[in-house]
Amino acid sequence: MGFSEHFPALIVVVLFFTAFISPLLYRWARKLAAPAVIAALLAALAMVVVLLIQVQQFGIYYYHMGGWPPPWGIEFKADPLRLYILVVLISVSLWIFIYALRDLGHELKTRVIGWYYTLYSVLVGSMAGIALTNDLFNLFVLMEICAISACAIISIKEDRECLEASFKYLILSAMGTGCFLLGVVMLYMVTGYLNYSFLYQALVEAFDFYPLNIFTAAALFIVAFGTKAALFPLHVWLPDAHASAPSPSSAMLSGLVIKIYAFALFLMFYEVFPRVVLEAVPLSEIVLWLAALGAMFGSIYAMIQTDLKKMLAYSSIAQIAYIFMGIGLHHSLALVGGFYHIMVHAVTKAMLFMVAGVIIYSTGVRRIDQLTGIGKVLPVTMVAFTIGSASMVGIPGTGGLISKWYLALSALEIGRPIFVLVILASSLLNAIYYMPIVINAFMHQDEFKKEVKPVPGIMQLSMVVGMVFIIIFGFFSKPVVTLLEQAAALFF
Amino acid sequence: MTPVIMYSCRVSDLFRNTLSIVTAAITFILTLSLYGFVVGGGEIQLTLFEVLPNLEISMRLDLLSFCLAALASFVWLLCTIYSVDYMAKEHACGRYYPVFIFTLGSCQGIFFAGDLFSLFVFFELMSLIAYILVIHEETEEALKAGYKYLVMTIIGGLALFFGMIIVFELGGTVSLGVGVILQEPSMLALLAFICFLIGFGMKAGMFPLHVWLPDAHPVAPSPASALLSGIMLKTGAYGLIRVIFHVFSPEMLQSVGWNNILAVLAVITILLGSAVALTQTDIKRRLAYSSISQLGYVLLGLSILNNNAITGAVFHIFSHALMKSILFLAAGAIIWKTGLRVIADLKGIGRQMPVTMGCFSVAALAMIGIPPLNGFLSKWTLAMGALDAQMPLYVLVLLVSSLLNALYYLPIIIPAFFEMPGDNGHDHHDHHEFEFNIQEATPRMLSVMIILALFTFIFGLTPNNIAFSLSRVTAEFLLLGGAF
Repeated sequence: MGFSEHFPALIVVVLFFTAFISPLLYRWARKLAAPAVIAALLAALAMVVVLLIQVQQFGIYYYHMGGWPPPWGIEFKADPLRLYILVVLISVSLWIFIYALRDLGHELKTRVIGWYYTLYSVLVGSMAGIALTNDLFNLFVLMEICAISACAIISIKEDRECLEASFKYLILSAMGTGCFLLGVVMLYMVTGYLNYSFLYQALVEAFDFYPLNIFTAAALFIVAFGTKAALFPLHVWLPDAHASAPSPSSAMLSGLVIKIYAFALFLMFYEVFPRVVLEAVPLSEIVLWLAALGAMFGSIYAMIQTDLKKMLAYSSIAQIAYIFMGIGLHHSLALVGGFYHIMVHAVTKAMLFMVAGVIIYSTGVRRIDQLTGIGKVLPVTMVAFTIGSASMVGIPGTGGLISKWYLALSALEIGRPIFVLVILASSLLNAIYYMPIVINAFMHQDEFKKEVKPVPGIMQLSMVVGMVFIIIFGFFSKPVVTLLEQAAALFF
Repeated sequence: MTPVIMYSCRVSDLFRNTLSIVTAAITFILTLSLYGFVVGGGEIQLTLFEVLPNLEISMRLDLLSFCLAALASFVWLLCTIYSVDYMAKEHACGRYYPVFIFTLGSCQGIFFAGDLFSLFVFFELMSLIAYILVIHEETEEALKAGYKYLVMTIIGGLALFFGMIIVFELGGTVSLGVGVILQEPSMLALLAFICFLIGFGMKAGMFPLHVWLPDAHPVAPSPASALLSGIMLKTGAYGLIRVIFHVFSPEMLQSVGWNNILAVLAVITILLGSAVALTQTDIKRRLAYSSISQLGYVLLGLSILNNNAITGAVFHIFSHALMKSILFLAAGAIIWKTGLRVIADLKGIGRQMPVTMGCFSVAALAMIGIPPLNGFLSKWTLAMGALDAQMPLYVLVLLVSSLLNALYYLPIIIPAFFEMPGDNGHDHHDHHEFEFNIQEATPRMLSVMIILALFTFIFGLTPNNIAFSLSRVTAEFLLLGGAF
């Protein structure tokens, strides 16, 4: 494999390294700072793609940091599912970054933009690490990095609302990490391992002797990841944080950060805890019902919002619930649906936040009732919004339908049509709050009253890219689905 | 087949009027050119590409799809021609025409869809795009009606989605080319059947899901209402035909009696639609309620499930499309020319616009079922079907509803010709009793209505005309198991 054998580590290292140099570049060679981040993201993307091809050819690949074998050394694992997550993660963050180039200057003070680049690279790097790692302690460290940088890209805007929201986020997130650490300790106590694969083996034996420890650990994990991924009812921090942050940060947080934690919870359920544990206590069932509640309540809360970004944030709570549903249904088709939804929702929600960003950039309006007639002055933006909301509702021809298709199919497959109804009802609720915005934007007799600044080309281009991808996900989903089916088959 | 793709590309705005007509004409000709092939019993099943494993976008051509596609493109062509004059007074034509043609495209897509999934995709596309036609006027009332329409459409779409998922789960495929997908009745299959009833019945204005229809149809511009009532309602009926014959099988439905659900709902729909139409004062609203009851005939025909009844149902799709388009276009011409919508104000309009009202009368008489017109033939066949099935009750329903039709159409026609405009008192001066004060719509609008009226004659005169024999062949084709 030659040089490419170090790729799993290099993906993370390249991004962290860029984080260190970007403030320096921003100070001394300002023109190079943004291209450096783009180059790093592109390099990471290229490495992921190479790895994906190799994994498809040669099977799953383990990387031992510094040549130390597990259980003591740090282990990274490259399997199709993780690499799929990485492809989504890195390409979406590249796309958001390109959009951010213009939007940041509008929302942030010039002197902090260099630091924003740093935080951005650290955030992407740590998420890549969370996805790749095969070791609980390493996961803990990366989660801390991720949480702190996520808070920082909210509070970097330095207004009162952002500081308050990011403080709330920081506290709850720290609580989540605390729970996680406690859970890790419990598992380490009964098994002596931190590596996923070793834990999986050891827990089968340990379960007979220390069931309580293991249950507690599992419960703590659900709370920890549930808080971080905004699983209902642990979502309270999300609307404030996502709504007040600068738009590129909101796109990042809603589009990617919460999904990484959902993915981490998935790894706990499928790679750490053996089946005996999950069968003894209906952990999946708990997640499933919380997800069902979240899908309904997220949408209901979203309906009563008056602020556009707050509405999008609540909608994220409902959408992340689909992903949790995919994990909780415990069926390979459900996993396909859930993971497809990770990709679809990452693109869709990021695009919707971009739209919100463009509206704020160009008109300064945030309130939903002031958006009437805006489709006539910002046509591209509002068409993007229309397509995005169609995908949220699951109109055929958009990606949202495909993920719902798989989730519904697996719910039927395990003989629980009630969850199909939940999915359908929540789609209907989505339609009820997204459609009036679209209708008022285009079909209202009133003219838009505010002054309108022209939208920069790069922002329009980003939105067009988003639309194109949403439609592609709706029609040409077969390759991705086939990949996911293969990946999901490994767990059953 | 190709029409679908062609259309979507040709929504440019330059010379848009001519272009729209030309596009509609090309579609019609292309569809007709398939005639020879289809009548020879030909059938095509073509897969375009796979969206998911076992789930593809595919096209299918058989008798039934040909009948409906030809009908749709014909009426569409005439309505487009009509629109040119009608819309000249209206705003936002740049939006109207592309949407108009795009809807035609997705409508043809529905008729040529080769599996439930593509049917669903095109169905949703058409319904959502038609929303723009519904709210074209952008008045408060139109927006409200449109919102109702949209919410109902989405509910219907979700129901279809649910039904489709169940079929896929039970049968492993949703293709319409494999014959019967669900052989065994089960709870899930019943659930799927109900979901399809909700989804397609919503579109077809079936009771109790018709509530959006009387609001949405009248507020649209008249050519659009003609299409909404004349063609787009039929997509719902078409979907039900496909579901009954290709997903389930008539024998199975009859053996477990699920077709009775449809029959009961159809009877209620027929009577309720006619009865409520009586109470309407707005001419377009009255027409909309009449559409509900007429679609009830089609559904009734489907629920009886024998040769005559299916023939009647398919033929009624033809005749109702023609009749209702005339009625809406004539009503549109009156509104366009005089601005009058309330039925009480239409006294003496026959003297002002004799040709328009003439066409209106022909269509109204056809609705009532007066013998030489096509409405009679479809009712006759439906009644025969009902008798074949030993259900004289249904014949009674048909007769009562015809009576009701007469009750609400004749009071429009008679005063229109035989009373004076503004004739309130009796001692009105009599001397210009026979004076015709002609202020007609434009020749183009008139010619469209006349062509349609001629067709109601032709299709009604003898049972040997092309539409009727096509319906007969289609019914046989469907009863023989759907896919040869």
